Amino acid sequence: MRTFRVMKTLFKRDFLYSLYSLGYYVAIFASFFVSSFILKNFLDSIGEEDILVSAYPLNYPLYITLVIISLYLVILSGVSISREREQGTLEVLFYGPVTPGSFLWGKYLKDLCLGMVALGFTTLYFYLVSVLTNIGFTMGLVKALIMSIFLISCVVSFGLFISSLTGRIRSSVLALVAILGAFLAIQFAYNALLGFEKESLSVPMLYVRQAMSYVFRGISWISPFAYLSRGLDSVVLENPLLYLANIGYALLYSFIFMFLSVYVMSKKGVKA
Amino acid sequence: MIQTVNLTKEFNGFKAVDNLNLRVEKGDIYGFLGPNGAGKTTTIMMILGLIPPTSGKVFLLGEELRPNNVEVKRRIGVVSENQYFYKEMTAEEYLTFFGELYEVPNVRKRIDELLEAVGLRNDRNKKLGAYSKGMQQKLAFARALLHDPELLILDEPVANLDPTSIKQIRDLIEEENRRGRTVFVSSHLLSEVERLCKKVAIINRGKLLAEDTMDNIKRRLTDTIHMEIELSADAESLSSSLSELSFVKGFTVEGNRLEVHLKTERDYRLDLSRFLYEKGFLILTMKTKEMSLEEAFITITQQNISLLARGEGNA
Ligand SMILES: Nc1ncnc2c1ncn2[C@@H]1O[C@H](COP(=O)(O)OP(=O)(O)O)[C@@H](O)[C@H]1O
Ligand SMILES: [Mg+2]
Repeated sequence: MRTFRVMKTLFKRDFLYSLYSLGYYVAIFASFFVSSFILKNFLDSIGEEDILVSAYPLNYPLYITLVIISLYLVILSGVSISREREQGTLEVLFYGPVTPGSFLWGKYLKDLCLGMVALGFTTLYFYLVSVLTNIGFTMGLVKALIMSIFLISCVVSFGLFISSLTGRIRSSVLALVAILGAFLAIQFAYNALLGFEKESLSVPMLYVRQAMSYVFRGISWISPFAYLSRGLDSVVLENPLLYLANIGYALLYSFIFMFLSVYVMSKKGVKA
Repeated sequence: MIQTVNLTKEFNGFKAVDNLNLRVEKGDIYGFLGPNGAGKTTTIMMILGLIPPTSGKVFLLGEELRPNNVEVKRRIGVVSENQYFYKEMTAEEYLTFFGELYEVPNVRKRIDELLEAVGLRNDRNKKLGAYSKGMQQKLAFARALLHDPELLILDEPVANLDPTSIKQIRDLIEEENRRGRTVFVSSHLLSEVERLCKKVAIINRGKLLAEDTMDNIKRRLTDTIHMEIELSADAESLSSSLSELSFVKGFTVEGNRLEVHLKTERDYRLDLSRFLYEKGFLILTMKTKEMSLEEAFITITQQNISLLARGEGNA
């Protein structure tokens, strides 16, 4: 009970100060800008009838919006512990009743709530878009927005995990860029290899491709962005079980990464 | 309140704290003294459980330290060596935040009291980023006292302060001690601790050199203690018998004034006064020729380590 109150106090302070930060709004509106651009191209490139046929015309722009907001959130949560380590404010909290658990869950809640506020803006944005373009604000979009909450949870817990490992803001950012960059590079290389005919590849390259497919499958369970695309795909596939399963995976992922973060933070301590 | 048992911390083979045994009793103002780099901060961090010891144990408020023992931590207040703040907050917001963390009852009133006591009342709505080092240190004090802790752990609490503020903080520490709080205060400046502390530990290169009352430490810092005595009559006649006393190392006589250099294995003042009385003299005044601890400290860190180490055996 007391731990919960500590968590709430930490959350409240952090959340209010984060809401005042300019970067947050810049990220949100940058994402709207990019997705407006994509939406415009989309509308220009296909005829009216096609849009009416598609049940999910806004889901791709939503995906882009989410990726950008998630990139912001993963950096934000990725530096949240290391920043307090670097500035020493973490140490002071631990003179008192704060534990790695209450601290991390406070941060998690804060970043999740920031994500939900951003989703609120996103909903508003897509509502405006649907009014202005006559594209329907479909049930599919609502489902995707609900799914997004869980996907943001994955992103945040992944960021916090990286942050629990690092002692300085700079190293957190470098680690995030390196890891997410590596994920992207592997995905790109794998897709490129898949593009070749089996017969045109030499035997060693076939082995490489096989190995890559394992690596790729592993990453698809580790990278929060893989959850993002899988989760939104599950909406389009119109399979309620798959949809629920994806929510379940996202929750499980978040808990595992939060658990690991608490463990790492207990081991690594509060000093930079 | 605090006990460490063979507490040791190594950083890559370098022993920052070496087999430290400290014991802080309830009600003490306990000085933890040592030059820069002696291992004071490292020890304090281990006492607080913020860095793990390489070996040894810590008992805090009677309990062996376990990670995340927040109930014990709610009963202590800490001022660290360096101050870290959320720069975008004001003093009042900062203290309110910590008041909520520690569940301080009547927090508004408590904050008013403390800001008054540390002299920050007029700066309460300033952003902490604009605070000077001294102001930060005072605010850290207010934060440490906010929840009425039983034990205060202070790491060089007056290092950044001007003389007036030092006095203010020192008075505050004494006041809190009178109200029953135990205080553990580290310092590399003897003058700070000398006036404040009943008991001190002296540490150098991670090793405990002495843990004793201030008086005993001073006595042990030298193997001779100089007594100045004023007698009721001319003392010239005492010369021969004084030199025969086993605990007297030397003396000078000048009329009815006597200066005697006593050995320090134990307090020989009683023996000396009995001797003088038996010789038919009355003592008008008798006082120790004070040696400043500051002088002593220079000695301690240079030549007198071996002396103190021997002293350990007798203590
Ligand atoms: N994290 C660390 N890594 C390596 N050496 C350290 C670390 N922290 C402290 N030390 C070393 O341990 C010794 C004691 O430091 P410290 O406890 O800060 O001394 P004091 O507080 O008495 O000035 C110093 O020599 C310091 O360089
Ligand atoms: Mg220090």
